[in-house]
Amino acid sequence: MADIEINSLIKQFGAFKAVDDVNITVNDGEFVFLLGPSGCGKTTTLRMIAGLEMPSSGRIAIGGRNVTFLRPRYRNVGMVFQDYGLYRHLTVFGNIAYPLEVRSLGRAEITSKVEAVARTMQITEVLQRKPDQLSAGQLQRVAIARMLVRDADVFLMDEPMSHLDAQLRGQMRAELRHIQKTVGVTTIFVTHDQLEAMTMADRIIVMKDGEMLQFATPREIFERPATEFVATFVGEPQMNILDARIIRLEGRIVAMTEHFAIPLDADWAERNGLASRIDTPVRVGVRPEHIAIREKPDADHRIVAELYSFEPTGAENLYVLRCGSVMVTTRSSTTETAHLSKEEGSSLAARFDPNWIYLFDPATGRTIAQAAGSDVSREEI
Amino acid sequence: MKKLTYSMESPAAPLVQRNWWVYVVLILVCLVNFVPYLWVVMTGFMDGASASSATPAWFFTPSLEAFHYLIVEKGIMKNFFNSVIVSLASTFFSVTIGMFCAYALARYDFTGRDDVSFWVLTNRMMPPVAVLIPIFVTFQTAGLLDTLAGLIILYTAMQLPFVVWMLTGYFRDIPRRYEESAMVDGDTWFSAFRKVTLPLMMPSITATSIFVMILSWNEFAFATFLTSTQAKTMPPAIMAYSIGADIRWNVLGAAVVLITAPLILFVLLLQRQLISGLSQGVVRK
Repeated sequence: MADIEINSLIKQFGAFKAVDDVNITVNDGEFVFLLGPSGCGKTTTLRMIAGLEMPSSGRIAIGGRNVTFLRPRYRNVGMVFQDYGLYRHLTVFGNIAYPLEVRSLGRAEITSKVEAVARTMQITEVLQRKPDQLSAGQLQRVAIARMLVRDADVFLMDEPMSHLDAQLRGQMRAELRHIQKTVGVTTIFVTHDQLEAMTMADRIIVMKDGEMLQFATPREIFERPATEFVATFVGEPQMNILDARIIRLEGRIVAMTEHFAIPLDADWAERNGLASRIDTPVRVGVRPEHIAIREKPDADHRIVAELYSFEPTGAENLYVLRCGSVMVTTRSSTTETAHLSKEEGSSLAARFDPNWIYLFDPATGRTIAQAAGSDVSREEI
Repeated sequence: MKKLTYSMESPAAPLVQRNWWVYVVLILVCLVNFVPYLWVVMTGFMDGASASSATPAWFFTPSLEAFHYLIVEKGIMKNFFNSVIVSLASTFFSVTIGMFCAYALARYDFTGRDDVSFWVLTNRMMPPVAVLIPIFVTFQTAGLLDTLAGLIILYTAMQLPFVVWMLTGYFRDIPRRYEESAMVDGDTWFSAFRKVTLPLMMPSITATSIFVMILSWNEFAFATFLTSTQAKTMPPAIMAYSIGADIRWNVLGAAVVLITAPLILFVLLLQRQLISGLSQGVVRK
């Protein structure tokens, strides 16, 4: 068990910078996720921690020991690969025992360790089978068992769940989180699935184009995203982003889109210095759950829009509204919206919760103003 | 209890394969391939007179005259063992060296990699006989004429391109993950290669070895020119003993039995490996 410290890690393939200045400090026993779209450098980062790829520059330390350029076998890390990396020619037992045999442990010790870990992963009945006789879920369990069987300092997982069906994935999420917390080994998990990261992580690192965008707890990533990319990447359906200008309307600061004005909270606008941004373009972000809809417009629900598409998901209904050229997705519970029209083309009125409006800089993508509702200090009052 | 007789099969899909013409084609192919061989084997067991008679006979009294002549009088078993040594050794060397070349070509991305693999391929484009005289002179200078070592070196060099080409493709089919996972688990690169990649490669390596061995075993042109008494292998020996002023058909037949029998036994024994090796990479799990 150990902490991981990564300083200004860079990996170049020719002129292409796959990983650009990554700095991470992972505490002992933490479950950290590397989240990002494919090709963002998350897997390369993981492979550099494992020693399968050598960094162009930077420093990696595991448990205070500099391992930057050490070969994999001197690092004592356990790893699960995307396609499991199980050996076809060995039985499940042989696969799990492999890392122990490499360390030339005694036969009896190997057997007892393999059996113990097989019980944990509930694969005792398939120990004598070959990998090609197993289901995807079982393969997954064997791969994890092979990682768990060693006393590794750090566990690394490279999209281990991408071959599982949705139902199995849901089960494995809970199980893996439980195992990680029970074993208590520092774990880095690479995924492109924001749901996986949000549900299992202690902290999430969001990466894009080789750069680290944000390193924070799931809640902070969700409620206080550092950039527009993070805001839209996390959350399903994704955050609505509208192009707007900050203007003064009837003495109040509002965000004016092409077709309607979004009223902003006056205190919040003042705290974020929006007065200095009058007449500059911004991008307004609102999560679907922070838009309320009514049948008829009233003092609060001023934005009149046409229902473009209605998507029931069971407990919740998604209304995709169209106002001029702007599309907005809303999400509300089925009971709340039971009386609303579900007919496409019907007219509805919407209200953006002023407590949950984000502003992003259109040029840099950085967050100008975090939503008022996400302010932790205010919540405590 | 009586079994239910209805079946779930659709009537359009008959349970029995009824494409009888497949068998007709197969029988024809087998006839074309096996009748000449059968005839040669039969000739080997005839005596000199019936083998060279103008009217071929399907029924005759078998005689071991030709075998006696070859084995006892001419001592062809010496040539036989020369062939065994040369083909085993050259197969071993070309497959071992070729395996590492193929691994490098399949796994590492280095400048000129494609040029190297193309150059390897071009080695197969030239007819080997074209370099017969230069090689003869080289062997003469190096004192390798009529030595087993000379033939082993030559065959190894001749078979290497083939081995490299076959094995490069097979290595590419084995995901790198296997080695990487073994290395993370604490292995060195070489033991990961030996314990993980090699067992997976075994069927392909066996198939390649069989091909290489057959080619070395049957090689005629170089063996004829580069050996005389000490290191003569089977193919030139057969020609020397059976073809003189006239062709002694029964001796030729007996020699064919001697030279093909080990190969047939060898392939029959390794048939399963050979088939799974050839279909590697074709069948995906």
